[in-house]
Amino acid sequence: MSEPLLEVKHLCKYFNTSGGVLHAVDDVSFAIEKGKTLGVVGESGCGKSTTGRAILRLHEPTSGEVLFEGNDITKYSMKQMREMRKDMQIVFQDPFASLNPRKTVSEIIAEPFRLHRTLTNKTEREGRVLELMETVGLAARLVNSYPHELDGGRRQRIGIARALAMNPKFVVCDEPVSALDVSIQAQILNLLKQLQEERGLTYIFITHDLSVVNYFSDEIVVMYLGKIVEYTSAEQLFAHPVHPYTKALLSAIPVPRVDAKKERILLKGEITSPINPKPGCRFAPRCEYAKPECFEKSPELRETEKGHKVSCHFAEQF
Amino acid sequence: MNKNGVGNYKKRGMAKEIMRRLMKNKMAVAGLVIITILILLAVFADVFIDYEKDVVAQDIPNRLQGPSAEHWCGTDEFGRDIFARLVYGSRVSLLVGVVAVVVALLIGGILGAVAGYYEGVLDNVIMRVMDIFLAVPSILMAITIVAAFGTNLIYVMIAIGISGVPGFARIVRAAVLSVKDQEFVESSKAIGAANITVIFREIIPNCMAPIIVQATLGVAGSILSTASLSFIGLGVQPPSPEWGAMLSGGRNYLRDATHLTLFPGLAIVITVLALNLLGDGLRDALDPRLKQ
Amino acid sequence: MEEKKYALKIKDLVVQYKTDDGVVEAVNGIDLMIEQGKTMGLVGETGAGKTTTALSVLRLIPEPPGKIIRGSIELEGKNVFEYSEKEMEKIRGNAVSMIFQDPMTSLNPVMTVGDQIAEVIELHEKVDKKSAMEKAKEMLEMVGIPGNRANEYPHQFSGGMKQRVVIAMALVCNPGFLIADEPTTALDVTIQAQVLDLMAKLRQKYNTSTLMITHDLGIVAEVCDHVAIMYAGNIVESGSLRDIFENTAHPYTEGLFGSLPDIEKRTEKLKPIPGLMPDPTNLPKGCPFHPRCKYCQDICKTRVPVKTSVSDTHAVSCLAYEEGTGVVLGGAK
Repeated sequence: MSEPLLEVKHLCKYFNTSGGVLHAVDDVSFAIEKGKTLGVVGESGCGKSTTGRAILRLHEPTSGEVLFEGNDITKYSMKQMREMRKDMQIVFQDPFASLNPRKTVSEIIAEPFRLHRTLTNKTEREGRVLELMETVGLAARLVNSYPHELDGGRRQRIGIARALAMNPKFVVCDEPVSALDVSIQAQILNLLKQLQEERGLTYIFITHDLSVVNYFSDEIVVMYLGKIVEYTSAEQLFAHPVHPYTKALLSAIPVPRVDAKKERILLKGEITSPINPKPGCRFAPRCEYAKPECFEKSPELRETEKGHKVSCHFAEQF
Repeated sequence: MNKNGVGNYKKRGMAKEIMRRLMKNKMAVAGLVIITILILLAVFADVFIDYEKDVVAQDIPNRLQGPSAEHWCGTDEFGRDIFARLVYGSRVSLLVGVVAVVVALLIGGILGAVAGYYEGVLDNVIMRVMDIFLAVPSILMAITIVAAFGTNLIYVMIAIGISGVPGFARIVRAAVLSVKDQEFVESSKAIGAANITVIFREIIPNCMAPIIVQATLGVAGSILSTASLSFIGLGVQPPSPEWGAMLSGGRNYLRDATHLTLFPGLAIVITVLALNLLGDGLRDALDPRLKQ
Repeated sequence: MEEKKYALKIKDLVVQYKTDDGVVEAVNGIDLMIEQGKTMGLVGETGAGKTTTALSVLRLIPEPPGKIIRGSIELEGKNVFEYSEKEMEKIRGNAVSMIFQDPMTSLNPVMTVGDQIAEVIELHEKVDKKSAMEKAKEMLEMVGIPGNRANEYPHQFSGGMKQRVVIAMALVCNPGFLIADEPTTALDVTIQAQVLDLMAKLRQKYNTSTLMITHDLGIVAEVCDHVAIMYAGNIVESGSLRDIFENTAHPYTEGLFGSLPDIEKRTEKLKPIPGLMPDPTNLPKGCPFHPRCKYCQDICKTRVPVKTSVSDTHAVSCLAYEEGTGVVLGGAK
């Protein structure tokens, strides 16, 4: 196995809220090889977005290590970290909120050059902006437009162009298509995939949409209330899901096909939030197989077969 | 023009673009014209008005005369030409108004932005100090400062400016709080922007609307504060003319010679109105989302 | 053959909005019929005119800027445009109700959920407060919320629970016709499954006819009997579920399916529709889809397609199905 580009070890991010300590990300570990995509799936409040932001230190991790090319970046100073941001980028979910409404397209895309004091020659810089716009499929005539004049798909392309400006090695895609229409969604997914092939990018792909993550990822992490419940290759996850939550999640996806009626596992209850979590499996209150033990002891994420990690006391029985 | 085609989409300069949008707004243009006339009058006052003869020299026989061809705005209680005094007075009033607001905006704006951006302890300390300032009547604070440093016009401006600091700090803080959690701020940090860059390049430009409104109102407030200071003898010293001082000086004659208060009052109203029109226009011109 | 009864008949509906940027042609002459007791899926992307269509049925188009230019909407045999505003108020929430997309904003935050449901009952039925509240509690039980939570406020409920409350409110007066505007878009998948399941059960129980507005073809496959695909204010294809999913006729519908990642064939590359939705103030001439259509011929740029039947149940608006146009699908350039 080759050296991973990014390795996350025991990452935790807690927030102090009025109701207690929110364990948004709790002891999360995974690794991504260069040029691969790790999908992070889960429902709202599972900590997937917080994980992405904690890796980039947009939220300062509470504890744990983030090894990028072997170096623990959580120990970096703010100055070193700013330098690291050339290599580590993010594409945001909401293309309506993630662009400064007072800047033009070219100003937004050129911002990284200004910040990192590269390409100070104006002609060179403008040329590079146009080049980036072409790469992501934006017409050059839009260079002086403002974000509010453009639709969601084009805005998302601006966000991608900006993330690519410094030629990063690693990009966190935080729900990059969930705010877009279906036909536009496919355009952006294809673009991201094409960019990965051309530039050897490594992605973390955060989404709540399982069919998208399946299309995109090599390996998948399923999260529930701040914990990883299952971590394996995409093929394995969709063919042989083990954790009861993963199974329910998979069965809940509406499939666009007539006669696709399949056994649906309806989960009872609602997603809560991990404020001052009690010991025990966090999924237990909604799990149909839950036994007394599940409420007492937290399950560890352990390898049940090669390359397939599950966090459930009774994984072998499913 | 360059080879790779950027030239075809050459951007109009930022200032030019804002100017173009401002010019489309008739009310803003009116405001701009009035302000320009006021400034020109103040700057070139010497050309058509003799300071010693028209503004300072007393002419008791002609006191309290109504407007006429000779004295457009009449004469005051010492027989001095009110129009000439208004024109000279504008030098002081406009200067105090603008400088005081700039002082308040710079200090209050930075404190408010820092408090709103960092939150936590820093926010608490800054805002509690601002609350203390707010609890002291601004005129009392101005009096203290002027009394301590002397009645130089500079100290008057600083004193009035400082009393405006808490107002700006609160407004800027509130605006920063509402903007700072938006995703584009995080996006800027993600490409490697330092906090100071984030505040000044991403957040502040999106907080302009309330700041501009507060600033235009602040100019009016400053002119009136100067008047109060002058009234108790700590502002502009007689016989130098100043709008606020003229206004308060004329109040004894309110019944018999209304023009003594009417014209300085009008001068203040017109200035403030023009500033407000210009301010509103500027706020809209600065916001690309409102572009037609 | 037995005469079919229709819960809703929309004929040649045209709705426009006048804005500073020009006239937004939101809905451009659509026909839509929903059989009694059936569910019709109205599918389309942002700006296709789905919500405008739904609001027209309830006569809730804000005027101005909106204006219904022409057309008729028959609800259980009566044209809604002939009702007075007073009569219309009686009909809304009673004969026809609507579930909105966002449960967070469609409930009043300062009223308890019980009061909100009871209010609907009091508006439409002559009952006293106490029995209205009783019925409200029953209704909550039916959507799976314990009746004793009726005294709680919306913020005390999670998103899925709020949507259940909204559903309870919509169904409390046994409407014959229900409009659901993206009822699960704001919800998580597992919660979406619960809500869809609940809606299916209630529909069966009350035999409610439903117009289900969605952009998710997966949901359509699961809950709808008939489907209409909307694009730029036009219904480009309509038919039974099987017609649309297995005998896809219109290139836009084909593009929609091509845009969806298939959960069972993960390596297959997506075939998105190129380009963007047209500007509704400046729709293209001819077929509105032609700038994005891979089969586009010259004639498509000038001639407006008319609704053509492919089978008894299946209709499509595409020149390829009209005779003598020379447009052929499948032979992509």
